[in-house]
Amino acid sequence: MLQVHLKKQWKGFGLDVSFEIPRGKITVLFGPSGAGKSTVLRLIAGLEIADSGKILHGEEVWFDDVRRIDVSPQQRSIGFVFQDYALFPHLTVEKNVAYGVKGKESAKTVKELISLIGLSGYERCYPAQLSGGQKQRVALVRAMAGNPGLLLLDEPLSALDWETRARLQTDVKQIIHRFQSTALYVTHDVSEVYKLADYVIVLESGKVVKQGTPEDVFLGKRLSTRIQVAGKVVGIEHDAIMSSVTVLHADQFFKALIDREEIDGLGLQVGDDVVLGAKSSDVILFKILT
Amino acid sequence: MNFAAPLILTLKLSFVTTVLLFIVGIPFAYWLAFTRLRMKFILESVIALPLVLPPTVLGFYLLMAIGGGSFIGRWYEEVFNKTLAFSFQGLVVGSFFYSLPFAVQPFQASFTAVDKRLIEASWSLGRSRLYTFFAVILPLSRQGVITGCVLSFAHTLGEFGVVLMIGGNVPGVTRVASVAIYDEVQSLNYGTANAYAGCLLLLSFAILTLVYFVNRRFVRTL
Repeated sequence: MLQVHLKKQWKGFGLDVSFEIPRGKITVLFGPSGAGKSTVLRLIAGLEIADSGKILHGEEVWFDDVRRIDVSPQQRSIGFVFQDYALFPHLTVEKNVAYGVKGKESAKTVKELISLIGLSGYERCYPAQLSGGQKQRVALVRAMAGNPGLLLLDEPLSALDWETRARLQTDVKQIIHRFQSTALYVTHDVSEVYKLADYVIVLESGKVVKQGTPEDVFLGKRLSTRIQVAGKVVGIEHDAIMSSVTVLHADQFFKALIDREEIDGLGLQVGDDVVLGAKSSDVILFKILT
Repeated sequence: MNFAAPLILTLKLSFVTTVLLFIVGIPFAYWLAFTRLRMKFILESVIALPLVLPPTVLGFYLLMAIGGGSFIGRWYEEVFNKTLAFSFQGLVVGSFFYSLPFAVQPFQASFTAVDKRLIEASWSLGRSRLYTFFAVILPLSRQGVITGCVLSFAHTLGEFGVVLMIGGNVPGVTRVASVAIYDEVQSLNYGTANAYAGCLLLLSFAILTLVYFVNRRFVRTL
């Protein structure tokens, strides 16, 4: 488990956060741009220094201003995935992945990792020869190659187009779970929260305003100007799609929704995960009478 | 008199100076590139001084610093039993300071230009600062490093004022090609002066062509 208590002050902006990250889970740090998400990640990685606070990773103290402990990034057992990949442009895919691997088994490990991300045959390619999605896959396994205790991902998919992003979200989740890694994933995209998060921490203006499972966080009290509802398509009968909210006349609502051409274009199937997004001004809440 | 001697001495001086500037200039430029010291601009100004100072001014102060009357000069004489001024070693000292900005500035600029996230990525992958320097920063700065080395070499080839002040005109010891040209013109030997000048012109042109060629190739391969 990672325990974080950090304070840092700039001109006009203050960061004051306290939270815990469960081991072996994907925790998403969610919030609008400028909330301080990336800064929190950099502070945990040791790339920036907090004014005060404490970072505990299991039994290890990574930062403690009172005891004047500030473990260097090299000693923190982290993997960091950057928004714009940060692949070494002068090294091949193989050498990029091998960069963080030490020991005799490195060549075998690297080969397995490249195969895992479906890039066998690209070993001798340079980053400039890869697509955005391929680059981010390489960046992900490079960060995981050294088997870090904590994986930090700073909006890793935000530079990609919608289609690639949706495909990579699944890959990222599978790879992280396969390695049983503890991950802290920064995003401002709510669909990524639903797709990836085991646990969500919501950050607004440098402060943690809510944390819990995605359902706890987003189906409870509204936090921001937008509300998002997640569900699962359980049938093609409209009244069965969200039977728990029939009080909202969901059958007519979904009939109208599904009749729209863009919804047809998505090719929804029974069992597909979906995220429904709506502006808060378009949502009316009713109390369910039992 | 051996015609080739001043040319060989010039090449030897340029080579030794460039090697020294590489060894000292690389760590110094790295420090300048990444230090958060607020007053580093003062140091940068000092390094850049040879770009604007008349060579005779620099040569004069260096002569004062390493001459027989100075602490360094006396110490050198005691240890090596010869003077530092008017020796090849003295020329190297002078050339080192004279060409320092030509090495340090391109080195520093290229180190600063390396994407900070690549350095942070290397650190986060558990690699030390030294490893990161040799595996990431130096390869990505090779254009600036090559430029700095070649410019230092070329600049030392053509220096005149500083070497004359520190080294004088001792044949086979401090009589470099630029001093030989001056000497031959004073003696009205225009033919020999022309030959030396032609050699320096061709050499300088070849070096600068190499710099531009390497830079163009670097841009293509990146």
